[in-house]
Amino acid sequence: MKQRKLQWITLVFVLGAIMMLGACKKKVAPPPPPAPPAPTAPTASLTANPNTIEKGQSTTLTWQTTNATDVSIDGIGAVDPNGSQSVTPADSTTYHLTAKGAGGTQDATARVTVTAAAAPPPTSSATEEELFSQNVKDIFFDYDKSDIRSDQQSALQGDAGFLKQHSNIVFTIEGHCDERGSTEYNLALGDSRANSVRTALVQSGIGGDHIKTISYGKEKPFCTQSNEQCWQQNRRGHFVYQK
Amino acid sequence: MATAEIFFEHERWGHNLAWSLGLHVVVAGLILLYAVVGPSSHGAGWGAGGGGDAIGVTLVNTIPLPAPAVQTENVLANESKGLTQSLPKVEEKEKEPEAIPIPDKDVKPKKAPKETSTKRQKPQPEPVEANNIVPFGQGGPVSGPYGTFSAGEAKGGFGFTGGGGDFGTRYGWYVRVVQQKVQQSWLTYDVDRRITEAPRVYLTFDVLRDGRPSNVQVEQSSGIPSLDQSATRAIQRIDTFGPLPSDYSGNKVSVEFWFDYKR
Amino acid sequence: MFPFMHRLFKWLLPIVLFSPPAFSQDWIRTGTGLGVEKVRLAVPDFKASTQDAKNTDLLKVFNDTLWNDLDNAGIFDMVSKSFYPLGPVGSPPDVKFEAWSAPPPNAAMLGFGNLGASGNTLTVQGWLYDAKNVTSPQVLGKQYQDAATTDAARTIAHKFADEIIFRLGGGIQGIAESKIYFVSSRSGRKEIWAMDYDGANQHALTHVGSISLSPRVSPDGSRIAFSSLTRTGWDILMYSVDVGRLVTFPRFGGTNLSPAWSPDGTKLAFSSSRSGDPEIYVADQSGANLKRLTSFKGPDVSPAWNRKTGAQMAWVSGRSGLPQIYTMEADGTNPQRLTEEGYAVSPAWSPNGQFLVFSWIRHYGPGAPGAQDIYIMDIASKQWVQLTHDGGRNDFPYWSPDGRHIIFQSSRSGSEQIWTMLADGTNQKQLSFAGSNTQPNWSWK
Repeated sequence: MKQRKLQWITLVFVLGAIMMLGACKKKVAPPPPPAPPAPTAPTASLTANPNTIEKGQSTTLTWQTTNATDVSIDGIGAVDPNGSQSVTPADSTTYHLTAKGAGGTQDATARVTVTAAAAPPPTSSATEEELFSQNVKDIFFDYDKSDIRSDQQSALQGDAGFLKQHSNIVFTIEGHCDERGSTEYNLALGDSRANSVRTALVQSGIGGDHIKTISYGKEKPFCTQSNEQCWQQNRRGHFVYQK
Repeated sequence: MATAEIFFEHERWGHNLAWSLGLHVVVAGLILLYAVVGPSSHGAGWGAGGGGDAIGVTLVNTIPLPAPAVQTENVLANESKGLTQSLPKVEEKEKEPEAIPIPDKDVKPKKAPKETSTKRQKPQPEPVEANNIVPFGQGGPVSGPYGTFSAGEAKGGFGFTGGGGDFGTRYGWYVRVVQQKVQQSWLTYDVDRRITEAPRVYLTFDVLRDGRPSNVQVEQSSGIPSLDQSATRAIQRIDTFGPLPSDYSGNKVSVEFWFDYKR
Repeated sequence: MFPFMHRLFKWLLPIVLFSPPAFSQDWIRTGTGLGVEKVRLAVPDFKASTQDAKNTDLLKVFNDTLWNDLDNAGIFDMVSKSFYPLGPVGSPPDVKFEAWSAPPPNAAMLGFGNLGASGNTLTVQGWLYDAKNVTSPQVLGKQYQDAATTDAARTIAHKFADEIIFRLGGGIQGIAESKIYFVSSRSGRKEIWAMDYDGANQHALTHVGSISLSPRVSPDGSRIAFSSLTRTGWDILMYSVDVGRLVTFPRFGGTNLSPAWSPDGTKLAFSSSRSGDPEIYVADQSGANLKRLTSFKGPDVSPAWNRKTGAQMAWVSGRSGLPQIYTMEADGTNPQRLTEEGYAVSPAWSPNGQFLVFSWIRHYGPGAPGAQDIYIMDIASKQWVQLTHDGGRNDFPYWSPDGRHIIFQSSRSGSEQIWTMLADGTNQKQLSFAGSNTQPNWSWK
């Protein structure tokens, strides 16, 4: 027992010593802090894709900035430091981005050339349908949810933009679910998803009578693998052009 | 050095004892806690199939064993099995090799139904014949034909009265149906869970021509309302036992049940 | 003293921890009528009563069917034929009581009889005897006549088995003549099919040519309501079993799913999104007098009436996130939540009014879901018991009319198929094998 007591005391002493040593170290006056570095200048870049469009088409502006607190684009207004936006200029435009930061200001430009439409676009459904499928993006959902995710908002706005431009188009929104749920509940959930997208579009000004909704639950999946990638692929509101 | 060692052990024992005691208290406390909290979340406390020993923490209780096979002992429908009493069993077995065991058996129970039908207020022990004394505890209805059963934490017995007294003899299969249905209908979870043991409750009811139970009465209360109610509901919950046998001439048959409850 | 205590605690603790499930299984066996001592029933092959050549086949079908019906009933301990005394038993004089009631058969009851074709007519005589009661053994004696075909032999066997089950099972009708309706994709499209309760006789009913789901037969067996994808969307369609085709039923707009009949056959409940959000509605069986019952945000689907009283309904609601099971009065008041966690769907109410059977994924989240199994819950006490454990996704359980069996769909064999089991989870058997078969529904009698 004596040996044990001795060991115990030694341990305590050693621990105490370590602590004190550490503390002693801390009492040493810290070196003077280095002078704050001069603020770095902001960087900015702006691209338009595609940079040549026909009148009536849209293009996507994508920009990136660093070290900037204030970012704005002429004609659009204040924007996030990084982002993208769909625009539909009527004429050739040079978009001008300004990034302001503690280190200064940086500009970036992107030119979009708008050509006159080759001929009034034939209202053949083929071309319009192609446009539709190119421009109207499906909206994806989280599992068991039918509300619009924040990262889907820009896609939704893009869709709304296109559809407002082509207000004659009639289309269907299909609600789909991934394979993991039960048949009946998935049909109801798919219905909620389709409705959710429809409501958002109507709120953006699309005429409700142009929009039909249908749920497919998990009856018509886009892929059949059992992994998160495929499941996410299947949780969507899918747009279908109606001839 | 030897003395010093003994001194060490002494100290160690005391130290370890304190730890051991403490740990045991903690473990005991956890088990107690589980016993209190656990069963309520998964309904473990009640169940059928016999052998409902407590999931208790007291050291005195035996370990809950797997539920023993449900016992059905109906003297009349089954000549080979008997009740847990030596005398009648022996007598029956002796009679088996003889030509017609059934009329002999008729002799015994015939007395009992006649007597019980006249005094329905309080079943009393029938001291008449030694081989009619049934081990029902503090004396119960010895009205035969009778049988026993168990349902979860309860044991029970029953007898068919009325109906000419030989109902059970002739229709052993129907008696068995009645017993099974009551057994499977008694869900003991509606008994107050604080009750661990209760005196016997006696119920009577009629089975009508179409098999419906009716006129369920508590003949003698157990003194615990929730147990009486639980037993009564067991009978009332039954829609039908199946129509009475087609060649039975009576309009109804009376049944007497008793339930013993022990958690 | 201490080591003893220590050992005892170690011993007690695991038993304390493991005994609850055994007890919770017991109350299910009791409430569903299973687990009580079963009657020892011996059923020797029926004897041929004529010399007709057709007898061999007819006897085979009859004997097999009769045996399976009684074995599947869940209330008999069938005495194995290898224990039977030698010598055929075709009529009462053939019965040697001692041979049957003593060991090895040790039978309590004896079913026997004879069968014979004569020209185009088949005659069957059957008796049920109390093997221990020599003086008055007869419980029932029946005679049947029908065409001399194997289908008729099968039907007679079902009828006779049901008689025995009715007598010895305490007045509850046997299910040997009941039917199961389900969805099958084996023709290329999901259509509504029917089969006997034991999986025999599988055949298609509808030929809509689209996607048809959720069949529910009416209490009188005359009509089947189901949900189908039409040009206007998902609609409730009505198939008449009597005339063998679709009959008119109103369209309500929106997505209409999961129809459910009230036990008196006068009303139909279903889910409709005609107002935007899927809610539970009730209409007359003709489709008139539509009334809305729920007003919760989130999908409401899969209603199930209380089969005993018709005064309440269970359904699935996603109003709190993942789908959970709720009950309410039949007029929509007093909603009560029954499940607290996981993903719970497909409720079905037991014929005695006491239990709900449903499908539950208790651990459901992003990523691979946990096991999906069939559970029974006692509605009054909310205690539940798990019935399936063998893997696969198990969904859409439904009760038999006698409350002793449950059918369900399971993917455990590699494809979605219909399975049956006793209501305590034992005796699980696959009924369908071709194509993909889902959403079974048992007839009411």
